[in-house]
Amino acid sequence: MADVDFNIKEEMKKPHLITGGTFACAGCNPVLGIRLTLIALGKNVIMVNASGCMTLTATWPFTPYRIPWVHGAIENGGSVAAGILMGLKALKKDKGTHVVVYAGDGATYDIGLQALSGMVHRKEKIIYICYNNCQFANTGHQASSATELYSRTTTTPPPIGNPLPRKNMAKMMAMGGAEYCATACTSFPFDFIKKLRKAAKVEGSVFIDLLSPCEPGWLVKPSETLKAGKLMVESGMWPLYEIEKKKITINHKPKMIPVREALKIQGRFKHLTEEQIVDIQERVIKEWEMITKGRFWEAEEY
Amino acid sequence: MIDILDGNACAAWGARRAKAQCVPVFPITPTTEIIETIAAWKAKGDFKGEFVVLDSEHSAASACLGASMTGARTFTATSSQGLLLMHEMLPIISGCRTPMVLTTVSRCLSAPIGLWPDHNDTLAMRDAGWIMLICETNQEVFDSVVMGYKISENPKILLPVIVNMDGFVHSYTRTEVDVPDQKMVDKFLPHPELEVRLDVKKPMTLGIPAMGLDYMRYRAQLHRAMLDSFDVIDKVQKEWAKLTGRKYEFLDEYKTKDAKAVIVMIGANSTIARSAVDAMRKKGKKVGLLRIRLFRPFPEKQLRKALEKINNIAVIDQNICPGMGGILYPEVKMALSGCKNVICNYIQGLGGNFVSEKDYVDILDDVMKAKADDRKWQM
Repeated sequence: MADVDFNIKEEMKKPHLITGGTFACAGCNPVLGIRLTLIALGKNVIMVNASGCMTLTATWPFTPYRIPWVHGAIENGGSVAAGILMGLKALKKDKGTHVVVYAGDGATYDIGLQALSGMVHRKEKIIYICYNNCQFANTGHQASSATELYSRTTTTPPPIGNPLPRKNMAKMMAMGGAEYCATACTSFPFDFIKKLRKAAKVEGSVFIDLLSPCEPGWLVKPSETLKAGKLMVESGMWPLYEIEKKKITINHKPKMIPVREALKIQGRFKHLTEEQIVDIQERVIKEWEMITKGRFWEAEEY
Repeated sequence: MIDILDGNACAAWGARRAKAQCVPVFPITPTTEIIETIAAWKAKGDFKGEFVVLDSEHSAASACLGASMTGARTFTATSSQGLLLMHEMLPIISGCRTPMVLTTVSRCLSAPIGLWPDHNDTLAMRDAGWIMLICETNQEVFDSVVMGYKISENPKILLPVIVNMDGFVHSYTRTEVDVPDQKMVDKFLPHPELEVRLDVKKPMTLGIPAMGLDYMRYRAQLHRAMLDSFDVIDKVQKEWAKLTGRKYEFLDEYKTKDAKAVIVMIGANSTIARSAVDAMRKKGKKVGLLRIRLFRPFPEKQLRKALEKINNIAVIDQNICPGMGGILYPEVKMALSGCKNVICNYIQGLGGNFVSEKDYVDILDDVMKAKADDRKWQM
């Protein structure tokens, strides 16, 4: 990512806009996502949180935030942000301020889909980031519609695991009116920062689906969450791309390592049978082939 | 300016004269005309605020939270199922101490689905931490919206306000209304800057979790602010009376001073009950009416003072709490606990079921004969 104007040494000298000492788990990638977001966008950010793990980053009387931050409820990140934008416009304070929603996958793919859909349809100038840990993690790891096929959650227990493939939110939001959509992963921080800096210049809605490994949910070691994310991308299970005006650009060509390698370090896939692994592998290869052969809009999620 | 306006137009004029800066909305009968009126003004350039139609009432209430938190003056309106969909956000808005005004145009709840008014929708919000003003006339709707902002934005209060009217009876009925000129309202209603707000120049973390005793302290503060608002509401109503000559109290007492029997109720039908009182007074019967205008905070002391010497009291509930009875009834009973009045409850007018002057005459005749508390349905 040589084309990102980013000097890590310079960035480390700046005051952190989210400080350490939050209530997040060791190895929490969603918190890392906030850190990267604020590095990319700077201090002129108003962040809207939808109920979830990240709500607990600030608990009375402590806050790690040096930016204005608000939590409303779970299903309305898009609408609370729309209200903030209305208020800023009314007060003529909207220029140069980024309204950013930082919501989990359950709050985005499921219960908050209507508010998000309304937000992108109205083309609100809001950056919506879904920190996707592939489950309702804060309530104890239940399946959401972002949960991978066959994954174990507390509502999709073994032997079968989750019987449903996940939705493709980036695609849905691109069709629904968002100007700029992208997938990203906390294991690829420069790619994410680059996308956010692009997003900051977009006149319209931005949707970024940020795969964010979750130590207790994925059942990986805290020290291996970044590795888990990397393997998800390199196996083709989480391709990194961006969509502008319905044109898709691949940002990172995955090595297409066997999905078995990505699955085996995650306890949530420990119960998988050989047939299930082969099924996932075939679906991932098929999806990747369709994306690379210009048939992205027809491709089904694995 | 004197005009012939319906209740919906009065609410819209209230928002316009208050110079509401953000109006996030979602349509529902019988509220829609408020939204259409503001949309038409916006299109013509007569309304300067931001106006956005959201994807649901829940989203409209959510946008109210966000907009109000920036410090912008915020207004919305809804009814019935729409209010129930907003319900989740209402304690969040009051808990975050964000000032705003919400006009609720009462309509019965589904199922069966109906269009006409009763108060089950608005009274279901009684525990949401909102100041609740329940109106009898279109003029009162306009006045209450404007006064609502002054109460809501008081730095010692910072609580959202519901201004309620009845669907159809108010919302689509035109009466003579005085809309004061803009200069007068501007002078009455300055816009104080919120101390706690979302501002990149002054970062604050809002809407955060609080556990155990901290949680309880927040709730205690909310309750305290609610109780403190009595004085502020009183002061604002007096100031408005000086400017307009229109005097409002927590309780609207009509011929109660020497009365032997009194009707206690809320809402538009009070006008019909008032004429029943007049008719009976002409026949020499000592009857009166007490309309509760301020429902939250609940003016318990004032209610007790007004009613403790009345022998027979008829509490009219245009609502039903199934399995318990009327919603107003136990509140009046509580205010009069230890007194020796006979207090009867009458359920009437659900789903806008027609109520006439004779119905109130019947109720007053009935309650005057009552020897003990009773609960009845009039249908």
